Amino acid sequence: MAFPHRPDAPELPDFSMLKRLARDQLIYLLEQQHEVDKLYKVENKPALSSNEQLCFLVRPRIKNMRYVASLVNADKLAGRTRKYKVIFSPQKFHACEMVLEEEGVFGDVSCDEWAFSLLPLDVDLLSMELPEFFRDYFLEGDQRWINTVAQALHLLSTLYGPFPSCYGIGRCSKMSYELWRKMGEEEDGETKGRRPEIGHIFLLDRDVDFVTALCSQVVYEGLVDDTFRIKCGSVDFGPEVTSSDRSLKVLLNAEDKVFNEIRNEHFSNVFGFLSQKARNLQAQYDRRRGMDIKQMKNFVSQELKGLKQEHRLLSVHIGACESIMKKKTKQDFQELIKTEHALLEGFSIRESTSYIEEHIDRQVSPIESLRLMCLLSITENGLIPKEYRSLKTQYLQSYGPEHLLTFSNLRRAGLLTEQAPGDTLTAVESKVSKLVTDKAAGKITDAFSSLAKRSNFRAISKKLNLIPRVDGEYDLKVPRDMAYVFSGAYVPLSCRLIEQVLERRSWQGLDEVVRLLNCGELAFTDMTKEDKASSESLRLILVVFLGGCTFSEISALRFLGREKGYRFIFLTTAVTNSARLMEAMSEVKA
Amino acid sequence: MDCYTANWNPLGDSAFYRKYELYSMDWDLKEELRDCLVAAAPYGGPIALLRNPWRKEKAASVRPVLEIYSASGLPLASLLWKSGPVVSLGWSAEEELLCVQEDGVVLVYGLHGDFRRHFSMGNEVLQNRVLDARIFHTEFGSGVAILTGAHRFTLSANVGDLKLRRMPEVPGLQSAPSCWTALCQDRAAHILLAVGPDLYLLDHAACSAVTPPGLAPGVSSFLQMAVSFTYRHLALFTDTGYIWMGTASLKEKLCEFNCNIRAPPKQMVWCSRPRSKERAVVVAWERRLMVVGDAPESIQFVLDEDSYLVPELDGVRIFSRSTHEFLHEVPVASEEIFKIASMAPGALLLEAQKEYEKESQKADEYLREIQELGQLTQAVQQCIEAAGHEHRPDMQKSLLRAASFGKCFLDRFPPDSFVRMCQDLRVLNAIRDYHIGIPLTYSQYKQLTIQVLLDRLVLRRLYPLAIQICEYLRLPEVQGVSRILAHWACYKVQQKDVSDEDVARAINQKLGDTPGVSYSDIAARAYGCGRTELAIKLLEYEPRSGEQVPLLLKMKRSKLALSKAIESGDTDLVFTVLLHLKNELNRGDFFMTLRNQPMALSLYRQFCKHQELETLKDLYNQDDNHQELGSFHVRASYAAEERIEGRVAALQTAADAFYKAKNEFAAKATEDQMRLLRLQRRLEDELGGRFVDLSLHDTVTTLVLGGHSKRAEQLARDFRIPDKRLWWLKLTALADLEDWEELEKFSKSKKSPIGYLPFVEICMKQHNKYEAKKYASRVGPEQKVKALLLVGDVAQAADVAIEHRNEAELTLVLSHCTGATDAATADKIQRARAQAQKK
Repeated sequence: MAFPHRPDAPELPDFSMLKRLARDQLIYLLEQQHEVDKLYKVENKPALSSNEQLCFLVRPRIKNMRYVASLVNADKLAGRTRKYKVIFSPQKFHACEMVLEEEGVFGDVSCDEWAFSLLPLDVDLLSMELPEFFRDYFLEGDQRWINTVAQALHLLSTLYGPFPSCYGIGRCSKMSYELWRKMGEEEDGETKGRRPEIGHIFLLDRDVDFVTALCSQVVYEGLVDDTFRIKCGSVDFGPEVTSSDRSLKVLLNAEDKVFNEIRNEHFSNVFGFLSQKARNLQAQYDRRRGMDIKQMKNFVSQELKGLKQEHRLLSVHIGACESIMKKKTKQDFQELIKTEHALLEGFSIRESTSYIEEHIDRQVSPIESLRLMCLLSITENGLIPKEYRSLKTQYLQSYGPEHLLTFSNLRRAGLLTEQAPGDTLTAVESKVSKLVTDKAAGKITDAFSSLAKRSNFRAISKKLNLIPRVDGEYDLKVPRDMAYVFSGAYVPLSCRLIEQVLERRSWQGLDEVVRLLNCGELAFTDMTKEDKASSESLRLILVVFLGGCTFSEISALRFLGREKGYRFIFLTTAVTNSARLMEAMSEVKA
Repeated sequence: MDCYTANWNPLGDSAFYRKYELYSMDWDLKEELRDCLVAAAPYGGPIALLRNPWRKEKAASVRPVLEIYSASGLPLASLLWKSGPVVSLGWSAEEELLCVQEDGVVLVYGLHGDFRRHFSMGNEVLQNRVLDARIFHTEFGSGVAILTGAHRFTLSANVGDLKLRRMPEVPGLQSAPSCWTALCQDRAAHILLAVGPDLYLLDHAACSAVTPPGLAPGVSSFLQMAVSFTYRHLALFTDTGYIWMGTASLKEKLCEFNCNIRAPPKQMVWCSRPRSKERAVVVAWERRLMVVGDAPESIQFVLDEDSYLVPELDGVRIFSRSTHEFLHEVPVASEEIFKIASMAPGALLLEAQKEYEKESQKADEYLREIQELGQLTQAVQQCIEAAGHEHRPDMQKSLLRAASFGKCFLDRFPPDSFVRMCQDLRVLNAIRDYHIGIPLTYSQYKQLTIQVLLDRLVLRRLYPLAIQICEYLRLPEVQGVSRILAHWACYKVQQKDVSDEDVARAINQKLGDTPGVSYSDIAARAYGCGRTELAIKLLEYEPRSGEQVPLLLKMKRSKLALSKAIESGDTDLVFTVLLHLKNELNRGDFFMTLRNQPMALSLYRQFCKHQELETLKDLYNQDDNHQELGSFHVRASYAAEERIEGRVAALQTAADAFYKAKNEFAAKATEDQMRLLRLQRRLEDELGGRFVDLSLHDTVTTLVLGGHSKRAEQLARDFRIPDKRLWWLKLTALADLEDWEELEKFSKSKKSPIGYLPFVEICMKQHNKYEAKKYASRVGPEQKVKALLLVGDVAQAADVAIEHRNEAELTLVLSHCTGATDAATADKIQRARAQAQKK
């Protein structure tokens, strides 16, 4: 399995440079601070260190500042004097200093910045590790991270040459792009004349496609993320996977040979593959028999270690699969998937709605219930008022009244809305699109008006042919299109957009889709005239997801890349999944 | 060539000194130089003159005039001196004129007579008055040393970063020292002073007596002392007409000379250059100038007029009413080439080139001679170097021509030294011009660097020349042209007689989009000159909106600053402006401003959410945003309030807000929550246990689990819990209790709205097959197979499936057929299938 790339596929750029840069800078910052003896996690409890100086490496959040301030003030009360240094990553915000000032510790603390914004999680995946981006921007309308994104893009273009063509869709994409361009103009000359390594860059706001992110993932890597939560490219497998009493931390990236072969596979294929692999492994072990001493020596010194390693990995993944199977069958995963597919395709809405209702009534999981409600709302262009009310009532009864705020958040973000009564579709549409153009006139405006944006999913789906018509069974072993990441039922909207734009080399001909996406003025194409990029670099594409991307999307684009001879590189504010999105929107009691 | 060395004077065996004219001065001096305080800056710097009326008895009835001239005698500034009596003048390294007043105040003027600032040398100096003062240069900048009327010294090593240091007392000092000087050694400034026959060295800790080694006996007083340009050497002139020369550390004697003139010299300065062969001192009396070194004879010049000596890095400048001359030791390269009968390769090359121009075959002979010795490279280098040291362009040219001629016969001579020399000479000739008046020598120029030279041209407002030089030398724009244009613009905004419009337009026309020019810096300067309107106009040209913000804030244009900050996309900047605005405006205006700037508003909201909750509420109130206000109070009801009463009150406020927002649903939900809270409280009181903060569902479940079925049903009715939910709830709770009897009763209470499959499922979950089977029979036909399979009755499941003739069901049952026990069933299914296919 794990299809090879086309022989003419371009090489991926070397991202270890980013790691080295960040590491050197941190070492430099810490060295000024002589002898850092121990690292502690910033938690809301007193620091136990008896050291004379404390150094905090934090995200620029107000919460963290209050923690630092409380520590300093506690020391002051106890009559201790220490040196304090706060290193902000990726950058310092004025609001943070402001908090320190208001808490009366500004003079006691020295501040520094660690401009570490790009973490290479894998050979083709860069993460900014800013999960708060999603809530901050798409819910609160806070644009503070846009600057960070622009700086990250700027860093990439200085390291890997200019990008000959840029595409994007969404307000945040547009703002980030413009800011980044401005940065480039300010210190031009550096990148000029450099040969581009990366041919295209594609920026995409998460709110352009919520649907894909809300679906249950069935590709192995996505499923592992949904089930065990992958953090920073590694996952903690509990005792139920390791079948011992200890849990095991496993790095999941291309270096794990076994994982690399199954990560993009539909889950139904994984088990078969793993058992095949196990048999092969056994066969290789078995070769020992009948070896003479010399061959045996060779075998032990050269092959055994690799085989053992593979063996270990294999058993880990088999364990993970078993655990996933157990969990999924218990919750009647098939039923769930069936409902999701029905929602995507837009039939038996009534059945789906009652399924969701039952889901809520049985208190299966607050996050899951919420996800299904959102999926229903987006695919149906909002819930009809009666259902909107009844589902919300049921939900509040099941999971607690504080979720009233959750619903208000979801409405604001356009994830869970009510169909406007009486308005014909076209009337609303024209109103919305007019509003969007008006807004775009001002450079930065409030994109978060309470007026619910229509998702128009059904129309978009038809236009872009997102639901493949298949005769007979969809062969998941030999996928034909990107729909395989959702068992052949749905081609991810985000990935389809990228595919279409790359094919046309612009948004031309997609006007209707763009309008339906409420992005009238927010889709852009920018090609530099000088087309000196080599054909190889032109097939290397950087996709930037603002607000997070899922492993399913990554798998789908990897598939597209293999089909068309592209190589995709992913830059995301964070890797996300449906549960993370819903949690970001939820209000929970503190 | 004989005439060329006519002005060369040998000193000892090794060195020659020459004196040549730099400029003939046609400054219109009203006073004699000797009546003035004179200060000339090194590196061909400007000359300041202040007629000294305070020296004469007849006091100052007339105010003196301070005049500043370029080195070529062009007037740069002239101003009436209105302050107190001046003791000493001196130039700082930045070419600022320091005027030390008698009361210890130092006034600082620019090159053009513009007053910059002033500072005081301290109270002690003020009380005791200044007797004498010196301005000296150190590696940190320019220092001032002061001798007070109490015969104490105070000094500051750097006037840019004023730190006064009072030097220790000299024991038994009753009168002023006969002469003194400031010395810089080991990064610290010292004072060397002579009192009678004794020398004292003051550092900041102590005063120590010192004796120069090898000093001739019989000295009763030192009349004059001189420190070299680099502070390395010291010369002492005694009352016996004897000159001692040695190192400034007073550890080593270099040489001595007896000139037999006992009159105190007017000035004594060192005349040497880096790596000079001879160390020499120039001593000036009223009408006599003497160059003294390690030789029995001295060189003597007659001075026709009152003259003034300016020590330089590589020589001495001498100016008088009519001329300005330069005296220096002839550099090695020039000496080699021009010395009479020199056979140095450079000399031969120069000769060869001349013969070549005459089309004489001698050229070949000379060339051959050099080549035979293999010295052609050296010859070319000598000619290039010597050209640098020539003052006259025609000599420079002939030497460069010779070098270029010699180069033709060399295979691989790197061209850059030649090219660079040509460029440097062009620059030097340009600035030495009478109109510019900066007579730098090549060595001085190299020491000063082109950047400093450009700064000095800018300081003299010679912008066009500076730009031409930058362009000629192809300096990078940011360091060169743009920087000069920015300086020009800063000067331009100070022209108060030109209207704002014109200045702004003129500046924009010149500067355009030149990279590296910061319009905001220029605007800041304009604002500094009190031209706010102009500053705002200039800011309009600044392409980076972020750069405009700090100045706009300073100028109190906060609202404009806010929109610029938003335009820049830098949230931090927006926040900075917001805090400014918050302090500047009253609350109402501040909120109104925010209202028009959604981006700023959401930023501020985020901050308030964490830091200032009350402000957040006010913000919503101001906007009549009842929806958010409602949410705010809901949040408060579980985050801020502890007591039930408080929480209910918060919820009531929230509900009212929701009504205003026309959000009936939220209002109703909130009211339900109020009801539920009160009820939960009552339940806690009556039944014990925890109820508060449970969801409705969990509350009912808890009641069922606690055996309070009646209560539970009452609650379900009150809150209109749908039947389906209630059934699920009870089913789960009873199964958890394993109260099978009650469950059965419940199942028979009426027809289940959720069917009976869930009953089967939940019994199996609790591993109670017996109970499960009871319900399996009641499951509706479409789920029957599933239910039967769940309880493990494969055979019956098969029968039902066959009866249904449902292919999917058959497959499902088949997949459950495992082992030998089910073999018969499997067969049955296969047969049924075959039959079905037949039909």
